[in-house]
Amino acid sequence: MKKYISTVLFSLINYCVFAQYQQLVIPDTLSGTQFNLVLKDTFKQLKSGNQTITGGINNHSFWGPTLIMKKGDLVQINVINKLNDSTTLHWHGMHLPAVMDGGPHQVIPMGGTWKPYWKVTNQASTLWYHPHLHMMTMEHLSKGLGGLIIIRDSIESLLELPRTYGIDDIPLVLTSRRYSTTNQFIVQNVAYGDYMLTNGTPNAETDLPKQFVRLRILNAEIERGYNLGFSDNRTFYIIANDGGLLNAPVAVTRLKLMVGERVEILVNLTNDAVGTALDLKSYNSGQPFGYPGGEPNTTGAFGSLLNNTDFNVLHINVVKSTANPITSLPQKLENNVYFKSADAKVNRSVAITNGNPGGKPFDFDNVSFQLNTINKTVMLDDIEKWTVTNNNIFGHTFHIHDVEFKIVARNGVESAVGDFESGWKDVMYVPRNESVTFVTKFSDYADELHPFMYHCHFSNHEDGGMMGQFVVKGNRADVNRKSYISAKPTLFPNPVKDKLNIQFGNSDVKVYYITILDLAGRTKLMLPQPNLQHGLDVSQLQPGVYTVQITDELTKYIHLVKFIKQ
Amino acid sequence: MRTSVICGLASVVNLFFVSGMNGQIKTIESFALRNVNGQIWSTECNKEVLGFIVVFTCNHCPFASLYPARLNALNEKYTPLKVPLIAINPMDSLLYEDEIFSLMQTKAQLENFNFPYLQDEKQLVSKQFGAEHTPQAFIIWLENGKYVIKYKGAIDDNGEDPAKATPFLANAVNDLLANRQLDEAATPSFGCRIFYRK
Repeated sequence: MKKYISTVLFSLINYCVFAQYQQLVIPDTLSGTQFNLVLKDTFKQLKSGNQTITGGINNHSFWGPTLIMKKGDLVQINVINKLNDSTTLHWHGMHLPAVMDGGPHQVIPMGGTWKPYWKVTNQASTLWYHPHLHMMTMEHLSKGLGGLIIIRDSIESLLELPRTYGIDDIPLVLTSRRYSTTNQFIVQNVAYGDYMLTNGTPNAETDLPKQFVRLRILNAEIERGYNLGFSDNRTFYIIANDGGLLNAPVAVTRLKLMVGERVEILVNLTNDAVGTALDLKSYNSGQPFGYPGGEPNTTGAFGSLLNNTDFNVLHINVVKSTANPITSLPQKLENNVYFKSADAKVNRSVAITNGNPGGKPFDFDNVSFQLNTINKTVMLDDIEKWTVTNNNIFGHTFHIHDVEFKIVARNGVESAVGDFESGWKDVMYVPRNESVTFVTKFSDYADELHPFMYHCHFSNHEDGGMMGQFVVKGNRADVNRKSYISAKPTLFPNPVKDKLNIQFGNSDVKVYYITILDLAGRTKLMLPQPNLQHGLDVSQLQPGVYTVQITDELTKYIHLVKFIKQ
Repeated sequence: MRTSVICGLASVVNLFFVSGMNGQIKTIESFALRNVNGQIWSTECNKEVLGFIVVFTCNHCPFASLYPARLNALNEKYTPLKVPLIAINPMDSLLYEDEIFSLMQTKAQLENFNFPYLQDEKQLVSKQFGAEHTPQAFIIWLENGKYVIKYKGAIDDNGEDPAKATPFLANAVNDLLANRQLDEAATPSFGCRIFYRK
């Protein structure tokens, strides 16, 4: 009898801890204009038994807080790297200066603080942030480092749309992981996970009110594509692509969402009875060869228990509606004016090459990524048309930094562009044996030193060299380069307690970058294009002697000056 | 080249000795590292043992931070049986300030370590062991004047809940003390990765 009771008790405890479904984690939000993000090693209970070593941001143990920004705000981010590894943090989809972009060149050493800032010019949209350290992106992303960014603007705010975060406006970050026998993530030679994680929650479920709800969905996988739909095959409505709202909702019953892409959908739950349930699923069975995750294998580097099968992404329990529910679908959303093919002044072609088993890894134009090679130079304010051609063995997703683009053709045919991808995009699916053409404008931010990236967003592919970089070239007309002298800076007061002032003899001098290192050579502060008007805040530094590396914007000459922190 | 050690001298000198391999049996000949008490701790000066439990751990790793109470208990139990525990910090403190010696001292004090907590500043001892993560445990056994690695792997298999854990490390020590074949001479290592300076 005692044994029976123990068995029942054990089963009950086990059920409570690892029931069929677990409550969907909704990441906390941070809002305002100052954001502190502390990246750290941590762990999480994801499976029964041992905890899984993960990467966390602030108090999160897998996937970080959602940053809520307003269009027009000047935002300042303090990224503090407490990992035992260098990393970077890239603001995916954000239009900003290259030196703030967080690509592979903006390496934050362990213990360092990187302080990028920019004016938010993107329209209302769902963007995201994630590590982008070359050859380590897959490992760092797999640990769970990343988060969503929600941008709000005056147009979106006036629409009758669900926007109560976590109630009728739900972030959904989709990924999967393979585990070792000790419950640790396997991050080598793995393209697909075996077990679904939605916002880092295994077997996720959530309550959603009986009204129109908005799901902001990100595919944060390594390679897998999702063919999303509901278990009752209901129609749902795409309201936004990567870069913001569409002009009008697009009704679908299935939606392919590939790695790096975001979509915002509205789901009509007004006709669902309270207490009923439905599932958001990925219908990945029967996909053609080349669809990422369509492979039949269940094990090995390209196998997965989720391959070529239909699986649950989120179990939804319908509950009573909220106080002011959205009960109808808006007919009109935005007034986007998109680029057309004919707008382009420059045409470029990018070919997806290599990747055959036993050969060179996937790359573009037969050139593997090199940190010190600029693959393309773009002129500021040019409108360009890029055609990415995939006469290769497998589908890929193509992502470009700095801009949102408009897909204008698939296989050269304008009408072949789907309504579901008719908005602003920064990632596009390039299936096997297809070409995809987009048009975009490279505006606002010229920088001949710091490049932006374009790459396959399969993190194993980009780590393997399927990435290129471009600089945007412009001219600083305000300075006569011939007579320009990069005068040596003076620092005062020195010794300093809180505010360190930096002054140049030449008023033309602008500072491109400041790095502050301690006596042992550890990087403590990294300040891209710092505003020196009110001095530098060094109050957080420990007392000691520090070296300041000051990079002149025009010449890129680096001045070295020492100061003492009291 | 061997360096003679004067036991008890509080000198901050790297006294690491080159180790040897004997077929599949990996041996650690001898080493000396700075302990958080400011003195040099060396195998040469601690010879009245059957072997050592060597745990690689560090200051910053939250997963390693789940284990101090277990390490204290292991040291308390096995020191009288002549298998004391020592902890080694293998992290590169030049790159990662959280791992500097003074913060090791703070950690040892705050968490009441009852065992030596040694800094492997040049990472040479850790490389010799082949340590990959913190926490990671080894058992080295004194055989013919050399320390033979008898166990390499996890302390147990549940960081947060010791009551549910299989105590791999303790089981291995018990097997060795009883002259039994080890059930598991190696278990998978996991935790915070150790990056070695090249």
